[in-house]
Amino acid sequence: MIQLCGCSGCHISLLDLHEKLLEVLPNLEIVYGPIVADPKEIPEGIDVFLVEGGIRNEHDEHLIHEIREKSKIVIAWGTCAAYGGIPGLGNLYKKEELLNYVYSTDSTENKGEIPSEEIPPLEEYVKPIKDFIKVDYTIPGCPPTPKMIADAIIALLNGEEPKLPTKIVCDECSRKKENVFPETFKRTYEGKPDPERCLFEQGYTCLGFATRAGCGAKCPSAGVPCRGCFGKTDRSLDLGANAANVLANAGEASLKIPDKVALLNRFTLPDALINRKAK
Amino acid sequence: MGKIVIEPLSRLEGHGKVTITLDEDGKPKDVKLHITALRGFEQFVIGRPAEEVPRIVPRICGICQTAHHLASVKAIDSAWGVEIPEVAKKLRELMLVGNMIHSHALHFYFLAAPDFVLGVDADPAIRNVVGVIDKAPEVAKQAIALRKFGQSIVEAVGGKAIHPVTGIPGGQSKPLTEEERDALLKEVDQMIEYGKNGVELIKQINEKFMDQIKTLGVIDTYYLGLVKDGKHNFYDDTLRFLSPDGKEKVEFKPEEYLDYIGEYVVPYNYVKHPYYKKVGYPEGVYRVGPLAMLNVCDEMETPLAEEYRKEFLEIFGFPANQSLAYHHARLIELLSACERAKTLLEDNSITSDDIKTDVEPKAGNGVGVVYAPRGVLIHNYETDDNGIVIKANMIVATTHNVPTMEKAIQQAAQEIFK
Ligand code: SF4
Ligand code: SF4
Ligand code: SF4
Repeated sequence: MIQLCGCSGCHISLLDLHEKLLEVLPNLEIVYGPIVADPKEIPEGIDVFLVEGGIRNEHDEHLIHEIREKSKIVIAWGTCAAYGGIPGLGNLYKKEELLNYVYSTDSTENKGEIPSEEIPPLEEYVKPIKDFIKVDYTIPGCPPTPKMIADAIIALLNGEEPKLPTKIVCDECSRKKENVFPETFKRTYEGKPDPERCLFEQGYTCLGFATRAGCGAKCPSAGVPCRGCFGKTDRSLDLGANAANVLANAGEASLKIPDKVALLNRFTLPDALINRKAK
Repeated sequence: MGKIVIEPLSRLEGHGKVTITLDEDGKPKDVKLHITALRGFEQFVIGRPAEEVPRIVPRICGICQTAHHLASVKAIDSAWGVEIPEVAKKLRELMLVGNMIHSHALHFYFLAAPDFVLGVDADPAIRNVVGVIDKAPEVAKQAIALRKFGQSIVEAVGGKAIHPVTGIPGGQSKPLTEEERDALLKEVDQMIEYGKNGVELIKQINEKFMDQIKTLGVIDTYYLGLVKDGKHNFYDDTLRFLSPDGKEKVEFKPEEYLDYIGEYVVPYNYVKHPYYKKVGYPEGVYRVGPLAMLNVCDEMETPLAEEYRKEFLEIFGFPANQSLAYHHARLIELLSACERAKTLLEDNSITSDDIKTDVEPKAGNGVGVVYAPRGVLIHNYETDDNGIVIKANMIVATTHNVPTMEKAIQQAAQEIFK
């Protein structure tokens, strides 16, 4: 397992199997995994490689090819690897813009100097790993639930294919739906939502209807709208486009939603049909 | 003249490498720590509605995501001039100590302990958490239980154990139910017990490794921590710098951070080098995290941890300047976090649903500070009239430590190649 342009949350989610780790781990041999183990070279002949994170710099790109060559099965582990994830929001800016900004914030002393020695240069844009290599399976989620990771590992140990939920988050959500369409949209800090009713029907921009199930509708259960972190379902081509279609039914009101591009593509911009800012 | 490159650095989060340039005699001439990844969060939160930012920035780190979530939402409350209900503050603090318990347990038992339990000379192939489970199953069991407890707190209060979501401008989006509270309370005494065992364990280990502790990575630096009325605090209040000799303490409020902290861009590192402005760069580099927190505070806020803090200073002196004493300090904080969780869970108001106040977005500038598991964490945003972020600055915990980590590695390399 490895972390490319990710946050290590997918690794931590595996550890969140807690005592079940004691059942899963002894059946595995971790031959490479810098976050938890010391071997420095990627060995040959790996059965399964779990890849966390997308491709942000030249080193990531180099590694993903090496990983493919040395592994039988490569898994896009988590939404960053599968669709680019949150770091993909960087695609809304040009690489130079991003670097210039980061190295000239208020607390920076020598503003505008950009580091470039002995560190891998950034690629123009963030991309999911499947833009570079053939990916055998995907386990989406930011992060995927511990159970999804364990199920996939166990399936592979048994020589089966890992399976993903095919439904949408709304199907797992216990909030009551009355099939009404909101006339205006609210931002999350506005008012106190009714704890029983569908957030979308109350005017909050919940994306559960466009998002793959699997998390157990965690965000709406905690009183905040889904932001689409599990990505699209098998049947849809593009999460953002799908969601935009539904929101557009509200007509004028939907035009007033702020920051639509980053809302509808919060976790999936690098994999969207339009995946970067037009120059 | 040769060069040694150590890459990837293992058993830590993030991406790093160390380069050691050797002179003709094979002695280290130049030792550099490079952080080799950059994602650019400060840029890509610009243009986002501020209330969405606490849902974006947790992805800076999958281990201390809760700290980012909370520093972020505190910064927005402050930019919009909101005072949140007391219960919401308590819930946020509880969420943070939950994250602290998980992260400190992870760091010590899963990432550092393989060296102690299996020995630094053990085969790298087995020197990992699986090795610990094999060799010291009881230790592994307690480690797993502590992590699980911490993550359960974050899930119950924050909605998700990794990348929580309930912090919104004005307060919290979800109350803690009585059932959730009771389930956590049932476990808490056991966790305090495990926390104590942790400190006892590190004391035993320290005795074995005292030679290395007192020679490797020993450096004099400034220290930065968070205190409230002089006491160690995870969640709130006042930043405090301590001078390397332990004589001078300088306090300031989060919103004044730009007067005290600067960041220097170095050519070989994506991460900037922060320093204490009144001293300048590079003399003013400082350490954050458990060691710094224990040095900086006058006392711990919980009783058992306070006993252990006194003992800690007896062992290591004041200020403790040994990088390897971080583990000991971390385990004292782990115990303190368990004690603090108990106090918060026993507070009857914690299950109240008075958790959110009405908010109006406005143009403003706000700073949010918490103590993340690796050290002080600062988020600062400016918003426009509609509450859209127009400017952002973040100084994350590990960043503060990068220059001093480099210093400690330089010192260790000198020792090892002697
Ligand atoms: S998918 Fe989410 S949890 Fe996994 S690496 Fe990316 S940001 Fe982190
Ligand atoms: S709250 Fe969101 S996830 Fe739940 S039913 Fe409504 S739209 Fe779907
Ligand atoms: S509700 Fe949506 S955003 Fe929240 S965890 Fe599930 S898929 Fe991700």
